[in-house]
Amino acid sequence: MFLPGLAWKNLSRYRKRTIITASAIAFGLATYIFMDGWLKGAEVESERNLVLYETGSSRVLTRAYWAERERMPLSSAIEDPEPVIAALREAGISAAPRTLFAGEAVVEEGSMPVRVIAIDTERDEQVFAFRQTVTEGRYLAAGEPGALLGEWLAQDLGLAVGDPLTVTTRTRSGFHQTLDLEVVGILNCPNPAINKGTLFMPLDTADTLMEMEGAVTEIDLKYRDYRAAEKMNAGLAAGALAAFPGLTVVSWKDLAADYLAISATKKGGSNVMLFLVFIIAAVGVSNTMLMTIYERIRELGMMRALGMRDRDIRRVFLLEAGGIGLIGSVAGVGLGCIANWAMVRWGIDFSVFMDMSEMDIGYRISTISHSAWNAPVIVTALAAGVLACVVVAMLPVRRALKLQITDCLRHT
Amino acid sequence: MSSSENGRGTVSVENVVKTYAAGESVVHALRGVSVQVAQGDFLSIAGPSGSGKTTLLNLVGCIDAPDSGEITIGGTRVSSMNRDALAMFRRRNLGFVFQTFNLIPVLTAAENVSFALSLLGIADREIRERTRAILAEVGLAGMEDRLPSRLSGGQQQRVAVARALVKEPSIVLADEPTANLDSDTGRAILELMRSMNEQHRTTFVFSTHDQMVMDFARRLLRLHDGAIASDERR
Repeated sequence: MFLPGLAWKNLSRYRKRTIITASAIAFGLATYIFMDGWLKGAEVESERNLVLYETGSSRVLTRAYWAERERMPLSSAIEDPEPVIAALREAGISAAPRTLFAGEAVVEEGSMPVRVIAIDTERDEQVFAFRQTVTEGRYLAAGEPGALLGEWLAQDLGLAVGDPLTVTTRTRSGFHQTLDLEVVGILNCPNPAINKGTLFMPLDTADTLMEMEGAVTEIDLKYRDYRAAEKMNAGLAAGALAAFPGLTVVSWKDLAADYLAISATKKGGSNVMLFLVFIIAAVGVSNTMLMTIYERIRELGMMRALGMRDRDIRRVFLLEAGGIGLIGSVAGVGLGCIANWAMVRWGIDFSVFMDMSEMDIGYRISTISHSAWNAPVIVTALAAGVLACVVVAMLPVRRALKLQITDCLRHT
Repeated sequence: MSSSENGRGTVSVENVVKTYAAGESVVHALRGVSVQVAQGDFLSIAGPSGSGKTTLLNLVGCIDAPDSGEITIGGTRVSSMNRDALAMFRRRNLGFVFQTFNLIPVLTAAENVSFALSLLGIADREIRERTRAILAEVGLAGMEDRLPSRLSGGQQQRVAVARALVKEPSIVLADEPTANLDSDTGRAILELMRSMNEQHRTTFVFSTHDQMVMDFARRLLRLHDGAIASDERR
C-alpha cells in the first residue's frame, strides 16, 4: 500500500498541474459523453420517426416497383392487394395499403413538386401515427377530395385549412390529370421529410382519379419490434407471402438506406472529432508526466539506489498517471452525465432553426432533439480515460529508466 | 544488529577499472584499484575532484558497474549481477546518505524512513516501531510527522541517516554527507554516524574532500588520478 499512497501524495505535489491535466481529460470525456448521447438520441428518435411516419416496419411491393422505386411507377403497382393484406392479417401483422405518386401542387403564386401519398384512412392508422400530428383542421375522411399537408409545405404554398389546392399529375395510364382538392388539415410531424413536401389524400379518391382500379403501390407493415424487421421479413417471404411470387418485402433499413448512410458518415465524422479531443487530452497528460518525471530525476535515482526495481518505479509513475486519469475521468463522466441528463430531460428545440433555414441535417428530427443514455459508452469512457493516461505515461517513464542511477543522482 | 553477525559488511575491490567517455576523449576514473574493507570500518575516501572517489563509492554502492575487475560485498560477487538482482541486493544490504539529502518532499520524516522498510515487505506495525525507534535514536523524536520542508538541513540529513540505517544494512555509503551543512551540524551528523558505527558495527564508507570528515574517519583512503595514493588506518 506504500507505493499507491506515495503516488496519491505526489498528485497533490503538483496540484495545479494535476488539476489542469485532469480538467483537459474531463473536458474531453464530458464532450465525448455529451456528443455520443446526443447522436444516439438523434438516432433513436430518427429511427422511431422513420418507422412511425415514413417507412413502417417493412413494406410489401412488387419486385418491378422496388427495382424502379425512384420513378414511382404506377404501372408496377400491386394489382390485387386485398388477398395479400388478408394473408398478412392472418399472420398477425397490421398492414395498410398506400399509393404513392409524384405531382405538382399549383397555387396562384406558382407551383412546386409534391409527393402524394394516398392512404386508407382507417387502416393507415394501424401502421402509422399521423392523426395525432394534425395541428389544424382534421384528419382525412374516406371518399372526400381532401388533402392533408405537412406544415412546411402548407407554409411554402401559402395554404390554410379550407383552401382549394390543385395537383397536376399523370394517371396510371399516363394521361395528364388534375386533382382538385381542399385542404382539410395541416399536420406537424416530427419527421421533417414528411413536413417538407408530402401531401396526403384518401386512397379511394386517388384510386378513382388515378385510374388505379384497386391497385396500390405498396402495403406497409407494422411489427411489434421494428428492429427485428429482417427476421420477420424472412419469415413472411417463406410463409404468408410465398403465395405471391411477384411481391417482395423490404425492411425499414432498406427503405431508409440514404438516412442510414448519412447517419453512419456523421457518426464517423463525430468520432474523428472526439478522437482529436482525446489526442489533445492525451498530449496534455504525456506532457505533464514528462515534466513531472524530469523534475524528479534525482528522486528517481535515490529510489533506485535504495533498491526500487524498474517495475516498482514504473508502478509509482503509472499509478500517478492513472490517478490523474481517474480524477479527470470521474469529473468528465460526471459533467458529461449531468449535461446528458439535461438533454434527455429537456432536449434542444430545433424547430425554429429547421423552419428558418429549411436545412436538412439527415436526421428525421424537426422538433425537440433529445439525447439518450449510452451506458456502455459511459463505462468505456471512464476506463479509457484512465487507461489512456497510463499508456501515454509509459514512454516518459521508460526514457527516465534508461538513465544510469549515477546520472539521475547528479541531475540538477 | 545483523550487519555485524557474519561479515556481511566486508567489501573486496579487486583491480577495478572504470572509464567514462567525455565527448571524444576517455576519462580514466579508476585505474585498477584494489581495496579491502573490513566489517565495521569507518572509512573515508578522499581526494581532489576527478580523483575517482565518487566513482569508487558508486561502484561499492552497486549503482554503477566497473569496466573490469571484481567487487565482492559480504561474500557476494556483485560485479556480475543483473539490474534487478542489484536492486534487490541494494534494497537488503546497503544504505545511502546523499549530499543533498534526497528526501521525498511529500512524505513526512517518518514516511521517508519507513519507505526503505516498506520495500522489504515488512509488516506495518514493525515498520512503525522501527521507524519511531530510529528517529528517536537520531534525535528526531517528536518530529516524525514533519514534512522535509519544515526541517532544517541538519534535521533532514538526520532523517536521511535514519532512512539509511533503519533497515539494518551491512554497509552505509555516504557521498559528501556534510557538504550542504554548516560545520556544527556536519560534526553532529558525523558523530551520529560514528556512534551508529560503534553501536551496530555497521560499515560506513564516505567519499569526501571535507577535512572534518577525514578527521572523523578511522581509516582514510586517499585517491589521486584514479589510483590509491595512501591507505591510512588510525
